[in-house]
Amino acid sequence: LLWKESWELAKNPMASRGSPLHTPRIKLIEKAQNLFAETKEHVFESKAAEEHARLLRMQHELEVSTKQPIFVDSSISDTIRTCIVLGNHRAALRVKTEFKVSEKRWYWLKVFALATIRDWDALEKF
Amino acid sequence: MAQIPNLQNGPINLTPIRDQSQKELITILKNIRGKKCLVIDQKLGGSLSLIVQTSVLKEHGAELLYLNEDPLETTCTKVVYLVQTQLHLMKFISSHIHNDNSKGLQREYFLYFVPRRGVACEKLLEDEKVHNLLTIGEFPLYAVPIDEDILSFELDSSYKECVTDGDTTSLWHIAKAIHKLEFSFGLIPNVRAKGKASVRVADMLNRLQAEEPVSSTDTGVPEINTIIILDRELDMVTPMCTQLTYEGLLDEFLHINNGAVEIDASIMGANQQDGKKMKVPLNSTDKLFRETRDLNFEVVVQVLRQKATSMKQDYTEMQTTNQTVSELKDFVKKLNSLPEMTRHINLAQHLSTLTSKPSFLGRLDMEHTIVEAESYDICLDYIEEMIHKQEPLVSVLRQLILLSVTNAGLPKRNFDYIRREILHSYGFEHIATLNNLEKAGLVKKQEGKSNWLLIKRALNLVVEDTDTTNPKDVSYVFSGYAPLSIRLIQHAIRSGWRPLEEILKLLPGTHTESKRSAFANGTLDTLPGGSHMDKVQDGRRSLVLVVFVGGVTFAEISALRFLSSQEGMAYDIIIGTTKIINGNTLTETFLEKLG
Repeated sequence: LLWKESWELAKNPMASRGSPLHTPRIKLIEKAQNLFAETKEHVFESKAAEEHARLLRMQHELEVSTKQPIFVDSSISDTIRTCIVLGNHRAALRVKTEFKVSEKRWYWLKVFALATIRDWDALEKF
Repeated sequence: MAQIPNLQNGPINLTPIRDQSQKELITILKNIRGKKCLVIDQKLGGSLSLIVQTSVLKEHGAELLYLNEDPLETTCTKVVYLVQTQLHLMKFISSHIHNDNSKGLQREYFLYFVPRRGVACEKLLEDEKVHNLLTIGEFPLYAVPIDEDILSFELDSSYKECVTDGDTTSLWHIAKAIHKLEFSFGLIPNVRAKGKASVRVADMLNRLQAEEPVSSTDTGVPEINTIIILDRELDMVTPMCTQLTYEGLLDEFLHINNGAVEIDASIMGANQQDGKKMKVPLNSTDKLFRETRDLNFEVVVQVLRQKATSMKQDYTEMQTTNQTVSELKDFVKKLNSLPEMTRHINLAQHLSTLTSKPSFLGRLDMEHTIVEAESYDICLDYIEEMIHKQEPLVSVLRQLILLSVTNAGLPKRNFDYIRREILHSYGFEHIATLNNLEKAGLVKKQEGKSNWLLIKRALNLVVEDTDTTNPKDVSYVFSGYAPLSIRLIQHAIRSGWRPLEEILKLLPGTHTESKRSAFANGTLDTLPGGSHMDKVQDGRRSLVLVVFVGGVTFAEISALRFLSSQEGMAYDIIIGTTKIINGNTLTETFLEKLG
């Protein structure tokens, strides 16, 4: 029952996709995280929910600082790519360390992103 | 060329099935006098296009519309809804009615459920306070003949509903469809089923027979001798592999829907570049397609080349020598096949450009490595790289399912790692999809040792040096891998499943083999008993109906056609399926759409 409840909670915030009220969404996800955490079998789900909440916070900050509403609801990889495309390497690095993105994935993302903006010089350098 | 296939040349004449459905539909329309607007849901529209031509519907005074959330745009005062029994469709209908009411429009509403009414749907209509405004009926469409040897029950997500939602409504639907078939072709005396769902279908079939018996006196000798019912769950490896037959590849790349593909007109040699789509029908009425659909694609290219060369030769002969009238006639006859030639050369060319891409070849290579199940780490790395490159999620999941199924799951460490990478790359909303796949046992934590290697060896699934030009074995459809499902059918037909007991135990679910008497009380057993190789009196081969619960791929259909074309084969095979699937469409049913 507990399990079901937490699933519905986890689905709930996504159903309200696109709503400008981010804070209640994050709260909901955190609640789901705690519910997942109550049983032993759902460590993974709990962790994912926790990361999701953190990601949304970060994306929110990024949207405020760049004034572009393009971050929320994209994945971690997409967020990193967007950052690099926008030339904001510091932010990209921050997302990378925050979510412990592996070096392998990081390089793929960087190559793709640099290729998108045709920044061949940077591509060569790295 | 018509999209509705000609059914008369098949091993069994399925025309009565289609005619009956057509008649029932027309009766519905006739009973509603005057002009009316027929509103159907998009999904059903596809199935209906295989049963009746739109012109026929128009003759009966019907204007056709597709059901969606927009308010109705029609001048008709009578509206007929013809929809599948699904909740979200009910919402559209009630919003239509509310919309009309608010505008003060007076209309008569008729609602026909396909194939039968559902309590939940009617409850929703009651809650919306529109139930009393509707005249409700049923249109019992249980099976649609896709081609002369294929019946589809048109249950798209049956597999997912059974394995993740625990919803087994579709099983009843399948049993009902088979039972309906028995009314036309006689009681099927031998029943074999393997897998949880299939055994239940077999049980239900017996119950239906007890309730509403098909008596053998009405129909004479049963036309179908044996039915083999298989769960898709038994063999999830095959649908996840890329099909390499002509029809299979067409489906993988262009997605064949209701016996036709929709593609850019420019591929078909049209000059305009405006991205216009055109529909190309693909069924056995097209002689050239009939000849090539089941061949390995490599061979198809050769066949087409040969035909083109011989045609060119004929043409040059035409110009140089004097012809007699009969020779001229022959030549013109050959010219008639020209449109078919061009069509398939265009299609084949398009496929060739796609299949020669390194990414495609790499994927094939990986599939074979996974099926061989010898180098697990390489496969895992490959999938990891796919995720990092953010390739389409469905292709990633397809490979992942393949890897998980052949290894009885992934070790916990890898399992969590891959899941985390997927969530990071594609977004956290996909956790629901991953949960569905885990529940279905398709991508899961490793439990115990995998018996895939054992099964693979016992059933000889990986065949070295397969000759695709002159195939001797069904493994040609995947260039070296013989589908597990087909091997099971081969054994079932040849010798029954008893010698295979040990292997069957390794696969999920129980199995049953039973004989049924045409008489409900079971005292008389006048039917040709279950012995193999018995032939129907008039020298025709007896028929086996193979039913796939959860869908079948074109490659498997080709393999079955290949089997029945073999010498020394005592049976013709026809196929029943919940839906024709490929790895992508099957995986897509598990994707949870959020938001």
